[in-house]
Amino acid sequence: MNGVRAIFVAYLVVIAIGIAYALLLGVTGR
Amino acid sequence: MSAPRRHGFLRANALSLGFGVLFLVTLVGQALSGVSDFNSQQIAEGLEPVSLLAYVTSSSFAVDVMENWQSEYLQFLLYIVATVWLIQRGSAESKEPGEEGTESDEQQKVGRHAEEESPTWARTGDWRTALYSRSLGLLMGALFLLTWGASAVAGWAAFNSEQLGQRQDPVSFVGYFGEADFWNRSFQNWQSEMLAVGSMAIFSVYLRQRGSPESKPVGAAHADTGETG
Repeated sequence: MNGVRAIFVAYLVVIAIGIAYALLLGVTGR
Repeated sequence: MSAPRRHGFLRANALSLGFGVLFLVTLVGQALSGVSDFNSQQIAEGLEPVSLLAYVTSSSFAVDVMENWQSEYLQFLLYIVATVWLIQRGSAESKEPGEEGTESDEQQKVGRHAEEESPTWARTGDWRTALYSRSLGLLMGALFLLTWGASAVAGWAAFNSEQLGQRQDPVSFVGYFGEADFWNRSFQNWQSEMLAVGSMAIFSVYLRQRGSPESKPVGAAHADTGETG
């Protein structure tokens, strides 16, 4: 199940990066 | 990792891996078509076109991505929570009439009804079980709020850069919630999700997709509810 868990975490990481990236671009007014 | 095992891993995770790849491909598609669309507007307004790099690091791109993400997580949140309480007779997506609600501990295999392979937090029967029992909906809800918040922040910045481009006053972040731009972006995505969920619930009563767990078996009666094949 380690590989499955890795995919689970990867999805969360991608989503978190997307949110953080959008927030960063927003607050810096880009 | 040996070749057969590798094949086994890809096959065993084809759904999440496949959609992960499709997500990245379509995101690139959005970036490429987005910069083209953005630049035709820039030119129409007598402004300089921007590079792909400038576009994907702009709040305009960010808000377009986030406004779609937020509506998807809202859709899943509502679907997951609504299907606990609301049923649709004959739908593959619904529980049987009479099964509305959170069901018994025995049905849900929690606390003393937990089985050998049950997750630890399903076994404890305390706050951890209560939390774990709602973890899917809670995650979808949290992701909805975060992506909606991010769409508001990026949308605000994009709105203000358009305002400045048109020599109009920028608005405050709170002021942006009073702008039609924010609500139009939200509602235009929400309405499509509501229609899609309703469509899925009702179409699966009468229509079938052989082999899909989202469908009833082809030969299942229209009145059969919650069967998957």
